[in-house]
Amino acid sequence: MAPPSGLHQSAIPSDSETPFPPLVRSSTVPASIRSHRADPSHLSPEDAYAPFSPTRRFGSFDSGGGNGSGTESRSGRIRHKDTSRSRNRRRKRFQKLLWVKQSYPDNYTDQATFLENLQRNPRVRPYDFWPLVADSTVIVQHVCSVIIFVVCFVGIFQERVSPVSVVGWSSFATFVGWLLWDWWVTKESPVGLGDEDARARMIRDGRASREYRPPRRQDSLGLDQQMLNASTVSISSASNFPSAASSTSNLLLQDHPPTHQLQRPSHQPGGGSGTSNSGLLVPGHAHSRSVSSVASQASTANSPTTTAPIITRHGSDGPDHNSHASSDPAPAPPPPNGRAYVRLSTIKSAILIYFTLLGLSPILKSLTRSTSSDSIWAMSFWLLAINVFFFDYSGSSSSKRMPVASLSTNAALMASTVLASRLPSTGQVFSLTLFSIEVFGLFPVFRQHARHRSWRYHVALTVLLVLGAGGGVGMILGDERGWPWKKGVLGMVVGCLIAALAMGGCSWWLIGLQKYKNEIYGPWDPARPIIISRRHWDDE
Amino acid sequence: MAPTYNIAMVSDFFFPQPGGVESHIYQLSSKLRDRGHKVIIITHAYKGRTGVRYLTNGLKVYHVPFFVLYRSASFPTVFSFFPIFRNIVIRERINIVHGHASLSSLCHEAILHARTMGLRTVYTDHSLFGFADAASIFANKLLKFSLSDVDHVICVSHTCKENTVLRASLDPLMVSVIPNAVVAENFKPLDYNEPLPRSFAPHHPPPARPLGPHDMITIVVISRLFYNKGTDLLTAAIPRILQNHPHTRFIIAGDGPKAIDLEQMIEQNVLQDRVEMLGPIRHEEVRDVMVRGHIYLHPSLTEAFGTVIVEAASCGLYVVCTQVGGIPEVLPSHMTVFAKPEEDDLVAATGRAIAALRANKVRTELFHEQVKSMYSWTNVAMRTERVYNGISGAISEAEFYGYDAASGAGSWSATRGRSGVQSFALIDRLKRYYGCGIWAGKLFCLCVIVDYLIFLALELWFPRDKIDICPDWPRKERKVDGNDAG
Repeated sequence: MAPPSGLHQSAIPSDSETPFPPLVRSSTVPASIRSHRADPSHLSPEDAYAPFSPTRRFGSFDSGGGNGSGTESRSGRIRHKDTSRSRNRRRKRFQKLLWVKQSYPDNYTDQATFLENLQRNPRVRPYDFWPLVADSTVIVQHVCSVIIFVVCFVGIFQERVSPVSVVGWSSFATFVGWLLWDWWVTKESPVGLGDEDARARMIRDGRASREYRPPRRQDSLGLDQQMLNASTVSISSASNFPSAASSTSNLLLQDHPPTHQLQRPSHQPGGGSGTSNSGLLVPGHAHSRSVSSVASQASTANSPTTTAPIITRHGSDGPDHNSHASSDPAPAPPPPNGRAYVRLSTIKSAILIYFTLLGLSPILKSLTRSTSSDSIWAMSFWLLAINVFFFDYSGSSSSKRMPVASLSTNAALMASTVLASRLPSTGQVFSLTLFSIEVFGLFPVFRQHARHRSWRYHVALTVLLVLGAGGGVGMILGDERGWPWKKGVLGMVVGCLIAALAMGGCSWWLIGLQKYKNEIYGPWDPARPIIISRRHWDDE
Repeated sequence: MAPTYNIAMVSDFFFPQPGGVESHIYQLSSKLRDRGHKVIIITHAYKGRTGVRYLTNGLKVYHVPFFVLYRSASFPTVFSFFPIFRNIVIRERINIVHGHASLSSLCHEAILHARTMGLRTVYTDHSLFGFADAASIFANKLLKFSLSDVDHVICVSHTCKENTVLRASLDPLMVSVIPNAVVAENFKPLDYNEPLPRSFAPHHPPPARPLGPHDMITIVVISRLFYNKGTDLLTAAIPRILQNHPHTRFIIAGDGPKAIDLEQMIEQNVLQDRVEMLGPIRHEEVRDVMVRGHIYLHPSLTEAFGTVIVEAASCGLYVVCTQVGGIPEVLPSHMTVFAKPEEDDLVAATGRAIAALRANKVRTELFHEQVKSMYSWTNVAMRTERVYNGISGAISEAEFYGYDAASGAGSWSATRGRSGVQSFALIDRLKRYYGCGIWAGKLFCLCVIVDYLIFLALELWFPRDKIDICPDWPRKERKVDGNDAG
């Protein structure tokens, strides 16, 4: 192998004339530690078994070569019998080569070169406390919204809360959120290229997408698909309102658990997921109105919004709502009055979904009558746990979306369906289902958008959610006859404390765990070939 | 008079299966026999090959029958090998059990049982493992288990030694580096006075030496076409090399899942007349293919030793290889051109090699003699014998491990297997296993205790004196060699 690097040469005492003290353990072992531990990425031979061998003694050997050089003393560590040999060895240094006839025994371990190419934790990036806490707010938000949903269900189930008020308030909040979102999008859209038609045209011929997209994805997909990705990603935020509902209702029609796609072209019932090509539709499809398919309505509503959000994506450096929606037709020719049309169609599909749900509620009510409640509680617990664990918290505009993100939404909607089927009256069932769509389908999109929009909104939302969840749990656990608000406030305080403790504690724990990280890399690892002609594929 | 030993080589991998480990075991065994030792080989039964067989040189092979079925599942068979193993060991009066290859469960079990029976054990590691993926973690834990109580470990290269020391938490002083070797007589360069081997088709003239400026340079690749052999690199590099150098051609031998990629590349670039794919070849034919070329290209991504590049150099080929694993240790720099495992660098390195050959700067005709003096199985056997001497106490501990035994004799070291000090007492062995991990340590201890109980039961049920001692094949006289440095 290569001669010892400079670092290791420096580890060997340079002045060979310095009398070396008689080698005892205290002088030999720390020598390696002193020299090698200077660079933590190098192990000395002792490291391999240090925890297990408390004693390792080198007696007062090397009496003959005791005043030789450091190198010689090291070699003397192995072979010290006759000084004539060690003198001979002064010229021949140990080399990590197999073809050379070494003058060392086969089990000789050269302290200078042994494990010199070992790398420990070369790619480890240390965590900082506050960024970690800040990142954990996303999880807290989601857990809190799940808790709020459960609290609302319990409230409705115990008939302490009127289902109408729950769904009324939540629908009002959703409407306000939609208005806010719409306002944001409208505000951002002039940042781009001015005329929406021009923008749409640019997107269509692909050059725009090349400009707006990170370059590395260009080779991976066809041009159309790129366009689609760019547009669908934004569209999901634009029109999740109707689409989420539509997909759910669509699924309910088919009477099986939701299969995630918030938005799905009607001609693809199997539904691709992610940024797949499931949205490769002919442009005309967007206008095809199929009464039976709610989804196609949704997609019709969505398609014109393609234009504006793609600028959003560009302007705020990839806000990418990375949502569960994926497929959307290729940008349809923008209608003359862009935003107003979008709003109108969104409202239209919302109303459609509303009535579809209303019609479905009686069916849902008796869906699981033959199943015992215990099974339903257990099932919904696991489904909500799946929702929490598989939720796509990244929210970033990376091409590597979590492949199981759809699982999360599906699980949540299924949980809400089975929970709703426990409720006695049609109105309650309807309220809970609509509420679940709002909480699990639309709210995450809004949260992600708010986070990218402004950090302040994000924090405010987090605090609100924590307070709401804490207060709700407090009220539910509190005595029914007493004054619920006192318990609610207590719950809020406790909720805030728990959230703060969990965020801080988990972050601190994770940082503390980093010291156990020990990735070992060395020449024995299979090399990663760098192949030019394949690079485009491999990166993706 | 140096002592002679009865050695049992244990490995899942042996003839009739071809491969590097297999030939290593065979060559080492026959050279050890030449040095006066008795060697038997224990492997599992192959199809159509069961029972006891004798190979050339009186080498006795036990094909243990019941391992064919359970070969992949190693844990359930931890103890089931013990009765027949004990029988063989007692019949053959074995002193030293030598296991080969880290993926061989037979080898690990044999080491465990041998220690229980109070035999000395040696283990030879032929491969490199990473630390990241789940399979490696499992394999490494298993290795740690079986090597907790081994007397000595042999690795085929320094990189392999570092790897094994880290994987099994061994004391580096109990790991020796003894390389593989080649049978130089089987890899002679082309003798132009002899008739050409059959592999030369009439339209392929033998390689021209010395090279003129417009003579064809042939680059040979012999490798199984797998991902970890770097076939992707090869596929990417071949068109560029052929484009840069007009008078060159490739001969590729070997088969594997990546062969289809190569064929596709050939068709896409219309290189049918410049790249010849021979398909799978037998080990005996390797030399005949090698001597058709000037350059041997070895694009592997990981390699513990890389015997094939030594074989190529022995055939008088200039070697271009990737600088991975133990490969940089194997050949001197005047025989090799190293490349990083990158397409660009591989193309550049091949270009340098072609240029050096065209300039007639490389004395490839001398390679054979040089390789012959570097690597020989006799030397390997001699060095292995020193390991046997060391662990069985024939040479003193101080000489073997290189420091004063007197100071170490009073203390007990958990990891250091050492003649005279390493005791076979169950409690000492348990101490060694206990350090393997919080849970694993206890589990391993349990296994060892069960193993010991089985041993006691076997002693009761099948007493030693009821087992026949088999007559030895007449031993060879130990060859007297002056350079037995030990």
